Amino acid sequence: MKKNSGFVREHAGSVQEKLSLSLRSRIALYYTIATAILLALVFTLVFFTVERVVYSHFDDELDREVSEIIRAQPPGTPGLRHFNLSDDDHRTDEADDHEHRKPHDGKVKGEDDDEEFLQLVGSEGKIIARSANLAGNTLAFQSGRKEKRYHLAAAGRIAVRQVQVPLTGTDGKIEGYLLAAVPVRDAVTILGDLKQVLLVSYPAIILTLFILTRVIAGRSIRPVEEVIAAAEKITRENLDSRIPLPRNHDELRRLSVTINSLLERLQDAFQREKQFTSDASHELKTPLASLKGTLEVLVRKPREREHYEERILFCLKELDRMTRLIDQLLMLTRFESSGMTALMEPVDIALHIREAIARMHSDAGRKNIPISFEGPQSCMVSADPAMLDMIFENILSNALKYSPPESTVAVTLSGGSGSLLCTFADNGMGIPEEKLSRIFERFYRVDESRSSGTGGSGLGLAIVKKLADLQHITVSVRSRTDCGTMVELRFPVT
Amino acid sequence: MRILVIEDEPGIARFLKDGLEEEYFAVDLAFDGKSGLDMAILNEYDLLIVDWMIPGISGIEVCRQVRKAGIDVPLIFLTAKDAIEDIVFGLDAGASDYIRKPFAFEELLARIRVQLRRNSPAGDQLTAGKLSVNPVTHQVFCGTGEIMLTPKEFSLLEYLVRNKEKVCTRSRIIEHVWDIHFDSDTSVIDVYINFLRKKLDHAGCGNIIQTIRGVGYIIRES
Repeated sequence: MKKNSGFVREHAGSVQEKLSLSLRSRIALYYTIATAILLALVFTLVFFTVERVVYSHFDDELDREVSEIIRAQPPGTPGLRHFNLSDDDHRTDEADDHEHRKPHDGKVKGEDDDEEFLQLVGSEGKIIARSANLAGNTLAFQSGRKEKRYHLAAAGRIAVRQVQVPLTGTDGKIEGYLLAAVPVRDAVTILGDLKQVLLVSYPAIILTLFILTRVIAGRSIRPVEEVIAAAEKITRENLDSRIPLPRNHDELRRLSVTINSLLERLQDAFQREKQFTSDASHELKTPLASLKGTLEVLVRKPREREHYEERILFCLKELDRMTRLIDQLLMLTRFESSGMTALMEPVDIALHIREAIARMHSDAGRKNIPISFEGPQSCMVSADPAMLDMIFENILSNALKYSPPESTVAVTLSGGSGSLLCTFADNGMGIPEEKLSRIFERFYRVDESRSSGTGGSGLGLAIVKKLADLQHITVSVRSRTDCGTMVELRFPVT
Repeated sequence: MRILVIEDEPGIARFLKDGLEEEYFAVDLAFDGKSGLDMAILNEYDLLIVDWMIPGISGIEVCRQVRKAGIDVPLIFLTAKDAIEDIVFGLDAGASDYIRKPFAFEELLARIRVQLRRNSPAGDQLTAGKLSVNPVTHQVFCGTGEIMLTPKEFSLLEYLVRNKEKVCTRSRIIEHVWDIHFDSDTSVIDVYINFLRKKLDHAGCGNIIQTIRGVGYIIRES
């Protein structure tokens, strides 16, 4: 039973063809195969049970007949020659004679249910006597059997059920056999009809069942196809569309919900990727545009030496900015792509903080922002010293960048239960709450115009987050607009 | 010709001002959207150059507000964005043209010229009688003889020729030829008009610039 759905035809090879059957055909096929096997068993059982019941009825009749004949033999008359085939109960001698006088027309009456054929066979297989209704036909005989045997046979052209009973003498030796048979024409016809009905109805039932199952399966998976159709319509261009949820709260609804949330994440990722590309292009192209334009305007006309020097120095500063940006970008990419690991070792974190503050001294001095440190003289944690320095520098330079002159930046280090807490607090412009969740994204800037005035590119906190993650440090940021920002680093204490 | 540049990136704003001024444009600078928009609405500019991403109001919003105020000034976007939908978005918001960063300064100049000649179908060459003014090469000819002018004289003459047959009021001349830092002492116009008249007369173009007493000046074809 091979049912091809449209797209199956494209595939070659039976295995593939089977694998790519549509779901509804597969359901129908499996269901039908199971039913076919079951039905075949039931039909066979029915047929053989009926057959056995019918034949056991005949066999009982034959048994009765045979035992009557044997009982009817006059006692003490050994030898088969005197064996009387007639049944005293309902056959007189005349009747017997009458029967013997039947013409030999080659046709046995046999239509009568009561009629039995009898035949006496010697132990060597020689027919000794037979009932007149056999009319020259013989009953099939099989020599050498010591027990009763029931089987189907034919007497002339009439189908019969016959029994072969061995007759034993007083010495226990088999002297001959009594064969008795009854015509079973009606029974055979009925059994034949039954067989035919079963054989014809079987494929018809199976075929109907397959078609029905396929229709039902098709109906029950229609919602799935609706989901598929809806999902197929969603492409990169319309990622914001969603699969309509089915009304029933079933597996299909769960599937739709799952697909929708997947789409949500996908759209989010695309959006972030797009934002990243756009931001990266802005960050890289702005200094480029500035450089290119400045130099182009510079060479349009001959100018004073001082003018040249001033513009060239400006260009060098722009180049520095670009170099710094590219360095940061490459660093982030390296962290993200190569699975870089932190080289953890015992580090005196207090010492590193003091060193970082010292390195920021000139920047802090320019805006007249003192950086205070409060904490133990020395405190050991397990961390990567180079990464730690980078984290401190990024956080401190952010604090300086976004704080007004004459404000303060405070660094504290304190041990809590099971962890070590390092905080950096400034009195700067702060970060609006709705933007806090995005500040660790690459290139994210709270200031949407991406102004270069502060000198930031939006990569600093992304790097901090990445480095902190590598060292199992938890970073969190709390902030209030116009009040200040506090960055917390929580070190695990082992 | 007076141009307003709204750009927060100091490097870019500076070279734009330098380069455009060398091309005889009067250039005003605004470093954020709000002040840029105010300037664009208050003053009469011949062209706006607007960066897309500026603090305060975005470039797109500036563009929309300017159009909403009914100002039909040519507006060129400067943008680092290069996605097609961004460009389309910008042009639909009312921009006349856009240029992607980083750009060649010559290209910007060419695009500015395209926008400025929107109203003069003859192309870049401006003429009035025997006088012809070329804003690309900054050359002025009377017949076949070239007249040498200073940048300010050239700007003044170019403005008058562009608006020939129309009376150019003193205040409009100041607005379009001098930048915002110029204090409004309009007597400087008379000084430059005098220089121009002398040079034109010397070259044989006659007294093409006429005074409309109490109002301003006009150049007539005849």
